Amino acid sequence: MTLLEAARALRARKISSAELTAASLARTGSLNAFITVMEESARARAGRADEELARGVDRGPLHGIPVAVKDVFSTRGVRTTCGSKVFADHVPNHDAAVVEKLDAAGAVLIGKTNMHELAYGISSSNPHFGVVRNPRDVERIPGGSSGGSGAAVAAEMVFMAMGSDTGGSIRIPASFCGTVGLKPTFGRVSRYGVMPLDFSLDHMGPLTRSVRDAAVTLEALAGFDPRDDTSSRELVPGYLPPEDPWLGGVRIGLPENFYFDGLDPEVAAAVRRMAQTAESLGGRVTGVRVPDIAALNTISRIILYAEASALLEPYLARREQFGADVLSLLEQGRLLPATDYVNAQRLRRIKQQEFRAVFKQVDCLLTPTTPTAAPRIGQTTLEIDGREEDVRLASTRLVRGINALGLPALSMPCGLDRQGLPLGMQIIGRPFEEPLVLRIAAALESTITQ
Amino acid sequence: MRLMKDWKLIAAGQGLNIPEGDLQKITQVLDGLEAAFRPLAASIPPEIEPAVTFSCPPQETP
Repeated sequence: MTLLEAARALRARKISSAELTAASLARTGSLNAFITVMEESARARAGRADEELARGVDRGPLHGIPVAVKDVFSTRGVRTTCGSKVFADHVPNHDAAVVEKLDAAGAVLIGKTNMHELAYGISSSNPHFGVVRNPRDVERIPGGSSGGSGAAVAAEMVFMAMGSDTGGSIRIPASFCGTVGLKPTFGRVSRYGVMPLDFSLDHMGPLTRSVRDAAVTLEALAGFDPRDDTSSRELVPGYLPPEDPWLGGVRIGLPENFYFDGLDPEVAAAVRRMAQTAESLGGRVTGVRVPDIAALNTISRIILYAEASALLEPYLARREQFGADVLSLLEQGRLLPATDYVNAQRLRRIKQQEFRAVFKQVDCLLTPTTPTAAPRIGQTTLEIDGREEDVRLASTRLVRGINALGLPALSMPCGLDRQGLPLGMQIIGRPFEEPLVLRIAAALESTITQ
Repeated sequence: MRLMKDWKLIAAGQGLNIPEGDLQKITQVLDGLEAAFRPLAASIPPEIEPAVTFSCPPQETP
């Protein structure tokens, strides 16, 4: 059942929020998807949601719907660990803006999802809170860093779970778990109250089981927040895509360079099939040369390493409280000279200009999200096309750079490999053009579910 | 030919207490990053400003 189907069932009195919440709570124990389950407050909130609906008070599609947030979102009076031993006992005295908005929309917060330590990695094999498992194959990683959110949505523990995305951390778990994952434009969803990893690369967005579910969630979350310096004053449009999947006139760019290099052939074939589907729906699919993405990834890594290390340096004396992979990344950032950070930010501006030129030729880009399906737990390298590659760098190379540009990007399932594992496809749009990204995604999704 | 940075010396100069084994791994990664980044940084036109966010909003007078 999707979020919107549950919302319809609630209004038809076929089910209550209390029942949905009880079913949700009963499922949270598996896969190590949660760090904290908020049973008491969730049951109370569900009761209020039912009572409000009975009185005719309807807060919209999320009203009475069980949801979760990654454990980077501050929750007043409920510990917010960021998946880290350093913050294991941190109890905020305020809610994140996203948590406030979900509450205002009537959503029932079931709990806080497990994640890669400090949101700094892609396996979600957390050394302090346990290994998150992929519901499609429990011997595989769910991706990360929002791995608990991906697993919780794919395993139908909740209808929507919030993630954060600094270099692919919403889209990678969406790809590996077979869900939708939306990284909105930088500034579209407030970062207030989210434990940061990188001030200029962090984005907040939902993981859901359908594109329309992501759209209605974004409608509840988008908007200016004066408490976030980077929050945008752009007007918030409607995000729910039209029912009609016709894509007549939409110019869809299929990259001719980088994005289809070094892929599992099954991934490439699945994405190309979706491009053909887009064409059959009236879209104009054209090949397009994209700027140097390898360079953009290098720029993004330098910005991330420097900002994350600056942020977490005060805690680094407690080396034993960090996992080895995260500690290594934080040490790398400490050694980079300030001149490299400034120059990376200058190169970022150049890349942004280059991408603006691309988006004069096409309305969106269609790419794979990850070069393979989910790797195995503990796997450190991948062999793709006869070439060995680090799992983290391989899994981030098609998604990381987009964070430096701030563009909206959505990952959605586009098929299964021969082992039955989900494969992910990414749609990248112009700044604040989430409505078009969601429209294309919904059109393509309608052909999969039919 | 430009020499690569000596990351171990940089770590020591900054007084960072990174164990030798960890430093060895870090050095390899940073060498790769440096090799990719150096030509990019050398190509930036001087007029390009960093894309960092800073604002200086007006202050209300009391």
